[in-house]
Amino acid sequence: MKQRTGIALVTALVAATGWSQEISVQGITIAQMWKQETPGFDKATYTPATQYLGIDATKLGTDKLSLHLFGWGHADLGDSSVLGGSKSGGYLSYGYLQYQFDKANAELKAGRFAVNQGTGFEQVDGVSARADLRGGFTLSGFYGLPVLYRTVDSLSQADYKFQRDIIFGSRLGWRSTKGLELGLSYLQDGAKAAKDLHHPSATDYTRKQVGVDLAVTPTTSFDFRGRTIFDMASHRAPAAGVAEPSKLAEHDYTATLKLGGAVAVSGTFVERNFFAYFAGTNLPSLFRQDERDLFRAWGGKVTWAAAPSVQVVADYRRTHRETYGDANRAGADVRMDFLEKTVLAGVGAHWVSVVDSKLVDPLTPYRSLSHREVRAWVLVNKGKLSASLDGIVQVYDSGNPYVVGLRTVYEAVGSLGYQATSSLKVSGDLAFGSNPVSKHETRGLLKAEYRFGVGKKGGQ
Amino acid sequence: MIGKPMLKVLGILLGLGVLMACSLISPEASFAPTHPQELGAGRPVCSECHSTDVAKGALKPFASFDHTTSFVKDHRFQANQDLNTCASCHAQSFCSDCHGGKVPMKPSLRLSGRPDREAPHRGDFMTLHRIEGKLDPSSCFKCHGRANNQKCQACHR
Repeated sequence: MKQRTGIALVTALVAATGWSQEISVQGITIAQMWKQETPGFDKATYTPATQYLGIDATKLGTDKLSLHLFGWGHADLGDSSVLGGSKSGGYLSYGYLQYQFDKANAELKAGRFAVNQGTGFEQVDGVSARADLRGGFTLSGFYGLPVLYRTVDSLSQADYKFQRDIIFGSRLGWRSTKGLELGLSYLQDGAKAAKDLHHPSATDYTRKQVGVDLAVTPTTSFDFRGRTIFDMASHRAPAAGVAEPSKLAEHDYTATLKLGGAVAVSGTFVERNFFAYFAGTNLPSLFRQDERDLFRAWGGKVTWAAAPSVQVVADYRRTHRETYGDANRAGADVRMDFLEKTVLAGVGAHWVSVVDSKLVDPLTPYRSLSHREVRAWVLVNKGKLSASLDGIVQVYDSGNPYVVGLRTVYEAVGSLGYQATSSLKVSGDLAFGSNPVSKHETRGLLKAEYRFGVGKKGGQ
Repeated sequence: MIGKPMLKVLGILLGLGVLMACSLISPEASFAPTHPQELGAGRPVCSECHSTDVAKGALKPFASFDHTTSFVKDHRFQANQDLNTCASCHAQSFCSDCHGGKVPMKPSLRLSGRPDREAPHRGDFMTLHRIEGKLDPSSCFKCHGRANNQKCQACHR
């Protein structure tokens, strides 16, 4: 969308809130400050200020019509804190009109909205619709222009814009009253292939995906969910002697079994073929399809409600990447609450043990990626005051090429907040740490959060 | 140029399509757009109150929406299939804390006063990402593969 068109649409949407009978405005202002002294570079002082703003306006003439806007802007008062040297910027995360029907969970959306169908998160400037149908079927779809992001250089950007000219998708689902749901979805992002460019590009920013999703929840004690996604785009034929890449992008499945009221056991399985899974990336130098790599993981988790206010989670995961090797990941977390949830606390420890590392560094292979992590936190909400402390420590094996001999990296964040009025909360953070870039690091952050109006949603 | 008879046929087909589509729509009332009661602090366990109920529309037991650790980590499945159930308590801005095409700071910094939330990238993730990215780059791809990767581009060009 052109910038002027976008500004005009956002202005019109904001003006539309005038018809609203219920309006809720949420804002967060964050001011940060830190100084950086890195040998070989100029000293820099960073003082970025960030403003988030959200508006939810309901009952726009009718109870069923509502408007939702959310975005942010930032300005650097000192040196530029973002890549490219710009000292100001902003972004509209979403801005859409929504019409919700009384029946069939039906709704219509128009504007900029998010779609979480397929392998990830899509932002669309367009329209969407969904409705439940008779017989347990449900149908949804969207159509519009994809929101464009930045690629690494201007030539790639031109190719990227040319290819991503349209985005649309649909999902047909079926639900039974016995606790079974099946879904079939299609997503197409871009209609012009790289080969259609004046100077054919090697990078395809377009995608065509078909997904199958499943949920089996026959009782309150069992839940099985997952999805499989296929890359349906036609690609250039591989070089002679190279096998055709798999069209299977992803398997991702989780099953959970609750044993009584206190214990739940879950198992997961994931498999991703990078050629198909990384389709459509705008950063092909990092998410490299040509590696033809495969990732596979399986694991489990046991959750035990040891007491009404104590939850213990033990987890294990085995990961396998064809080019880099295997790793075992295990650990446990304990979450607690006291004094009717006035105090929430948690402690956790995890080990990552790499059992078969390959190619970590072409010059010094076989160095371990193994590490350990411990985290503890506490959050207290008492009257108008809130306070939190969060500490995290990572310990690496000696010889790890990424920690310049430091071995132990840590960060501690303390936060203190005061609910000045029902609409305004102010808080401040102080963070200390040590890491390979800054041997000693201290950061400060001031935050003001305000919320006006009648809206109740937004989460805790 | 489309002739009049063809336009009539198209009109009839469109009319039949609309009539058929309307008759296909479920007559069931929609799921509540907002939760009728305000929820307390901490992660809600839906089945504490809805012990045997099935969520309308989703046709799944409320227990499958209990906000356990597994649920929080795997909420992508529920968000894909039952977004309107999520929307009865969460505004879209709740999702935007982490899921944005562009975000100005990492979620753990944005939510620094809420250590109870599973905000990704706590601590010195800049160092850790060089290891996690090698073990499983597909976990990075979910958020940074097609968007929100301007900072990645500083080194990965």
